[in-house]
Amino acid sequence: MSATAFFGAGLRRDLLVLAALVVAGLLLPAALNRGLIFIAGMVWINAVFGLSFNLLFGLSGVLSFGQAMFFAAGAYGAAVLTQQWNVPFLLALPLSALFGGLLAGTVGAVALRRNEGVYFAILTLAFAELLHLLVVNTALLGKNDGLSGLARPVLGAAGLRLDLGAGDNFYYFIVLACAAAIALIRWVVATPFGRALQAVKQDPDRAEFLGIPVRMHRLAIFVFAGAMTAFAGALVAPWAQIVTPELAHWSNSTNPILFTLLGGSAYFWGPAMGAVMLSAVFYVTRTLVGISDLVTGLLLLSVVLALPGGVLGLADRLLRATRHRSAGHAGKEAEA
Amino acid sequence: MAVADVLTLLVNSLTWAMATFLVAAGLTLVFGTLHILNFSHGGFFMIGAYVAYSLAQAVGASDSVALYLFGSLAAGVLVALLGLVVDRLVLRRLAGVEDAYILIATYALLLVCEGATKLVWGLKYQSVMPPQALDGAWVLGQAVVPRLSLFIIAAGVLTYAALEIFLNRTRGGRLVKAIAADAWMARLMGINVRRVYTATVALGFALAGLAGGLLLANQALSPSLASAFVIYAFGVIIVGGMGSISGAFAGSILLGLIDAVGQWVLPTLPGLPFFAAMTLILLLRPQGLMGRRQ
Repeated sequence: MSATAFFGAGLRRDLLVLAALVVAGLLLPAALNRGLIFIAGMVWINAVFGLSFNLLFGLSGVLSFGQAMFFAAGAYGAAVLTQQWNVPFLLALPLSALFGGLLAGTVGAVALRRNEGVYFAILTLAFAELLHLLVVNTALLGKNDGLSGLARPVLGAAGLRLDLGAGDNFYYFIVLACAAAIALIRWVVATPFGRALQAVKQDPDRAEFLGIPVRMHRLAIFVFAGAMTAFAGALVAPWAQIVTPELAHWSNSTNPILFTLLGGSAYFWGPAMGAVMLSAVFYVTRTLVGISDLVTGLLLLSVVLALPGGVLGLADRLLRATRHRSAGHAGKEAEA
Repeated sequence: MAVADVLTLLVNSLTWAMATFLVAAGLTLVFGTLHILNFSHGGFFMIGAYVAYSLAQAVGASDSVALYLFGSLAAGVLVALLGLVVDRLVLRRLAGVEDAYILIATYALLLVCEGATKLVWGLKYQSVMPPQALDGAWVLGQAVVPRLSLFIIAAGVLTYAALEIFLNRTRGGRLVKAIAADAWMARLMGINVRRVYTATVALGFALAGLAGGLLLANQALSPSLASAFVIYAFGVIIVGGMGSISGAFAGSILLGLIDAVGQWVLPTLPGLPFFAAMTLILLLRPQGLMGRRQ
C-alpha cells in the first residue's frame, strides 16, 4: 500500500480528477433535460454522503448503520432555518453542517464506547431510529408529512442578486458546493490525522501503543463525517423542495454503504463511483417495481462475495493486467 | 388504572412479545451457532408470510384452524429449502469474513428478498382474516382479549418450549450447542461441523417461515414487513443476549412490557422506549441480559 490512505491516491491527482468532474458536471445541463439534471444533482449530493461514510468505513474501519440521522439532521436543519426562521441559505448551510457535527459528537461520544464487531453498527442504527421516531412525532418538523414547499434560495450581496430557483442555477450551486466538500474531505484524508486513522483501522492496539489517541481520533472523524453528511443533507432540502422522515429512516443509512461497497471502499473515489452507478440502476429500472431492489441486492452481494474491491477494484485489476502485458512487450523500463 | 386496563396492556404487550420472539428465535439460533447476524432473516419471515397467504388464496376462503397451521408449516418448509440455497450460495462463503462485511452481505440478501417479494406479490397491502375460531374476542369483565392474541402467545410459548427441549434434551440439539460453544473443539471430536451448520440454517429459516405463517393474520402484509420486524428482532436478541434462545424469549417479554408501559406513560412518542431500552442495554451490558461475554 502506498503512503496515503487509499489505493493509488495522490492528493494532487485526486484534485485534478475533481476539477475534471466539476467541469463535466457544469457542462451537463447543456446535454440533459430537467429530470436528468435533478438526478445529476442528487448524484453529487449522494457522492458527498458516500465519501463521508467512507471516512468512517474505508479510512477508519468503523461501520456506521446510522448515517441517515446526520443526513436528516442537515436536511431538516436547513428546512427549518430557511423556511421557519428566515435564516439566509448561505448561513443555514454551514449551521446545518455544524448541527450535524454536534449531533455526531453527542452520539459518537456514547456509541464509540462499543466499537467491537457488529455492536457499533447496531448501536448507531438504534440511535438513528430514535431520531427517526422523534422526527415523526414532532409537530415543528411536520410529523409524517415532513416539510414541503421549500423555496430555492435567492442569494443577494452588495446589490447583486442571484436567484438560485431560476433555470439550472441551483444545480450549478450544488456542483460547486459538493466539489468544495469533496476537496475538504480529500484534504483531511491526506493530513497526518487521516494517516493516523489508517493506522487505527489496521491495528487499534498498536496505534494506541504508538501514541495515537484511538478513541479521540475515531470521535473526531465521526464528528467530521457527521458534519459533511449534514452538509449534503442541507443541500437536499432546497433541491427536492421537500424533506420527509424517510430521510431519517435506517434504510437511508444503507445508501452510503451501498455506494461505498459497489464503488470500492479501498478507493477514495469508490463511493462517488457507486453513487453514479446506483443512480443509473434506479433510473433504468424505475418503471418495474422491485427490480431495483433485486438488482441492487444482487450487485452488493456479488461485490461482497466475489469482488471485494468493488467496481474500481475491478477496473484497477484490469488496468494493471493490460499494463503488465504491454510492459512485457515494450521492455522492462515501462513499469516505473 | 383499572384492572381491565392492566389486563389489556398485558395481553397486548405479550402478543407483541411472542410475535417478535417467533421471528427472533431463528435469528438468534443462527447467530449463536454460525456467528452470522442475518439481516435477511426478516426478509425470509416476510416471504413465509406471503407464501402462507398465497396458499390460503389458492385453497379459497377457509375457516379451519388446521388449515391455517398447515399453511404455516408449509411456509416453514419452503423457507427452510430457500435457507439451504442461501447457505450454499452465500453463508458458506462468509466463513472468516469480517463481521461488518457479513452484516452488509446479509443486508444485500434482505434487499433481494424485498425486491423479489415486490415483483411476485406487488406493493399493495393485503390483509388476511384469521380463521373463525381465532376471530373475535373474549370479554372478561371490562377487558377484551382477542382470541388471535391468545393464539399468538400460545404459539410463541410452544415454540420456545420445543426449542428448549430440542437444544437440551436431544442429541441433535446438543450438537448445535457444542458447536456454538467451540466449533474447533467439536471438529476435533469428529463432529461434521459443516453439516450441523447447514441443519441449523435450515432450522433457523424454517422458524422464520413458520413465524410468517403464524403471524399472517396479526398484521397487514406488505413489502415493508421485513425491515420492521428485523429491527424488532435485533432489539430483542440484543437485550436478551445474542445467540441465546431463552434470552430472546425473556428479552421479547421485557421489551414488550417496556414498550407497553412507555406507550401508557409517553403516548406521544410510540416506539421510543423500545429503542431507548435497546441503546441502554447495548451500552451498559452489551452481552445482554442472559448472554456471556465472548
